[in-house]
Amino acid sequence: MQQHEIHRFLERYFESNDCVIEQKNHSYMKIQLTVELDKLLMNRPFYWHYLEKTGGTPNPMALTLVTGQQHPPEGNGEFIHFGSPRLHQIFASTKKLGSFIRMYEAIRQDPGKNIPLNPWLCVNLKTSYQCDRKKDIISSYGIHLITGRIVSNFHDQLRGLPLTRKIPDFCYTLSAFIRPMSGLKRVEAIVEQQITEDDHSWAEDAENRWREDEELLDRFYEDEIEKPEYYQVEKEALRTQYEPKITVDIINGGLFYLSDSFLSQAFN
Amino acid sequence: MNLNIIFNRDWHEEFAKRMEDDGPWTKWELYNLALEAEKNLSIPEFLGLQAPDHLPQLTFLPHQLEVAKTVIEKMNGKAILADEVGLGKTIEAGLILKEYMIRGLAKKVLILVPASLVLQWTGELNQKFFIPAVAQKKSYVWEQCDVVVSSIDTAKRQPHRDIVLNQDYDIIVIDEAHKLKNKNTKNYEFVQRLKKKFCLLLTATPVQNRVEEIFNLVSLLKPGHLGNQENFDKDFRNDRHSLKNEEKLKQLVNKVMVRNRREDTGLKWPKRLVKTIPITLSESERDLYNSISDLKDLPAFNRSKFSILTLQREVCSSREACFLTLKNMLQKDAGNIATEHTILPLMKKIENVTQNSKAQQTLELIQSINGKVIIFTEYRATQLYLQWFLQQHGISSVPFRGGFKRSKKDYMTYLFKNHAQVLIATEAGGEGINLQFCQHIINYDLPWNPMRIEQRIGRIHRIGQKGDVHIYNFATQGTIEERILNLLYNKINLFESVIGELDEILAKFELKNIESYISDIMLNSESEGEIKVKMDNLAALINLDGGIKKKGWEEHAAARDSSLS
Repeated sequence: MQQHEIHRFLERYFESNDCVIEQKNHSYMKIQLTVELDKLLMNRPFYWHYLEKTGGTPNPMALTLVTGQQHPPEGNGEFIHFGSPRLHQIFASTKKLGSFIRMYEAIRQDPGKNIPLNPWLCVNLKTSYQCDRKKDIISSYGIHLITGRIVSNFHDQLRGLPLTRKIPDFCYTLSAFIRPMSGLKRVEAIVEQQITEDDHSWAEDAENRWREDEELLDRFYEDEIEKPEYYQVEKEALRTQYEPKITVDIINGGLFYLSDSFLSQAFN
Repeated sequence: MNLNIIFNRDWHEEFAKRMEDDGPWTKWELYNLALEAEKNLSIPEFLGLQAPDHLPQLTFLPHQLEVAKTVIEKMNGKAILADEVGLGKTIEAGLILKEYMIRGLAKKVLILVPASLVLQWTGELNQKFFIPAVAQKKSYVWEQCDVVVSSIDTAKRQPHRDIVLNQDYDIIVIDEAHKLKNKNTKNYEFVQRLKKKFCLLLTATPVQNRVEEIFNLVSLLKPGHLGNQENFDKDFRNDRHSLKNEEKLKQLVNKVMVRNRREDTGLKWPKRLVKTIPITLSESERDLYNSISDLKDLPAFNRSKFSILTLQREVCSSREACFLTLKNMLQKDAGNIATEHTILPLMKKIENVTQNSKAQQTLELIQSINGKVIIFTEYRATQLYLQWFLQQHGISSVPFRGGFKRSKKDYMTYLFKNHAQVLIATEAGGEGINLQFCQHIINYDLPWNPMRIEQRIGRIHRIGQKGDVHIYNFATQGTIEERILNLLYNKINLFESVIGELDEILAKFELKNIESYISDIMLNSESEGEIKVKMDNLAALINLDGGIKKKGWEEHAAARDSSLS
């Protein structure tokens, strides 16, 4: 992530969390935090606890973040780069703040004509291949909750659409035939199938490395009839080090109500 | 192949609840940010290093990046890091640690280092690597903190021991790991029992003298890599000190050990410019020196000849240092008339000394240098005196002692860097004090251990030094000081060379206490000629084994410390 990308990310983050950005240029920004974000980022639970007990006026802090060469005129800001703990704290907080969504396609329509919107369930996933090494794959699936059709790269397709949080006038939502929870199950099945079709030489290699080390270990203790305790400890450690495993986590997801035109596009 | 796939379904539950409650639902922008954040944090490839992108303020040297890649990709995270000193082993360890943490392969980390380095490691991991390491102080830390730095002596003692052995560590890092070469020690047994996935052993002196030492170290890291004791002996051991099939053993060891030599890294040392400055004692100083030297012939001093040497050296430094020793002798022997009779006149002579020729020379030198200067002296009394003396002439200085706490050392370094021209130190300052912003060192007096001289110079002669390094050695003419300089130090090119392996050489010849060895030569030789012959032998020994002359100093390892840069 380049510095200007970080800058833009921070701007969007604070704006979408309703913070007032009091000062900014290409290199720094001063943000007046909201109560919610202060609690999330400033790590002062005692203050907030005290305030709630005494009923005082909340006074959330201001934060000055620097991403470029130029520093703010008064006071020193916190320099933010890709490895800085603050950025990682903010990254982590987006997971809390941005996990569940429901949106409608914003359709402009002549009054008097009612438009149906199709229910979709979207999930963005992180699949991790892990042994003594690791690799992540981010994927996105949408399932049409009426037909059960599943579309991959779903998030990218959504990005071109105008979306709104409230159902637009003269639109109505079609009922889902498939419950969202079963939808999730179907997506899992697809993900599992995709994983199975992938190249897993990494896992075979890891098992070979594991076997080699285990053979060495056995040789080390071969003369001892009663193996010492740390033989088992070491053996178990080798398992945790090398054993291939695959985990699938949902990053975020939710319900999207989209027009028929999206439907026909998506299935082409 | 049979794949083990785990679906985390925590999200499902919360989602079901939100549907039931009809919200709350996030905004589109936040939803996108959450996905972007995760994309930025995800690891695109099994191979390669992610950590450098997370540490833009650190500049890694090419060999350090190479080490990290090798350890992770070829050695599966179990390695002995044995770069020559000064090449940044700790940077390498930090980088590897960071890489595993970024990849989510390590969370629980234990770092065992010498007690004196605990705070330094903790500080550097936090400040340089943004790794939230905690110095172990309370016993709850073991369980509640993810990254803990401790001394091995604390960790292996109850009540800690049981707690530590109960943790499942992802990575264990052990600094100064050559101390684990003996498998019959408590430390060895303790480390052997630790539960660990990955393991880094840091050492600047990969054991080479004894066959079993390398076996023990490797077996700690990867039991069986060199076979078990029996087949190791059969395959590689000739006798206690020597090996057979050396090439094969080397190959095996190199699979778990990385060792960069300075010559391989292509790093250039700054130049060392050495200048000996002769000091002529004033009449009163000379008188004092001679009177002290005459004590040698007194029968009363037969048993304490060593203190005469000390006094001689102290006179060359300052009358204050000498006075303090005399005073102590007097107090120790209180009531002994013979002692009083010899010492009181000497004290009188000290009173007659009105100037310090060396300090005078120091002042002139400092005034002629346009830049920061470090003065090293052996004596605290001299240190205090010099600080006062320079102050009298409008030169501000800061003191530095080994006994200072870490925070005070850092503060003094800060003051020196930003506010004072001179730092007066009584010892090299210990590990991790980097003064490479300074280019001038005055060896006001000389320790009798060449290693300590190297440590002094190593404070400024290191990676990061931008200019040439000037070393000024003061030699009081016609004294023991001048003799040591000429007899030994100039012969082994001590000041010009970097004798990285000197301590190994000394250990090999069982010359661990070279200082008392030199004292012994000085005291127990019958003649000047005998002294010369013995010193020549010592010099030859060091030269021969260090190969210093043969190889040239650029090839040798650097300052003896385990600092991060």
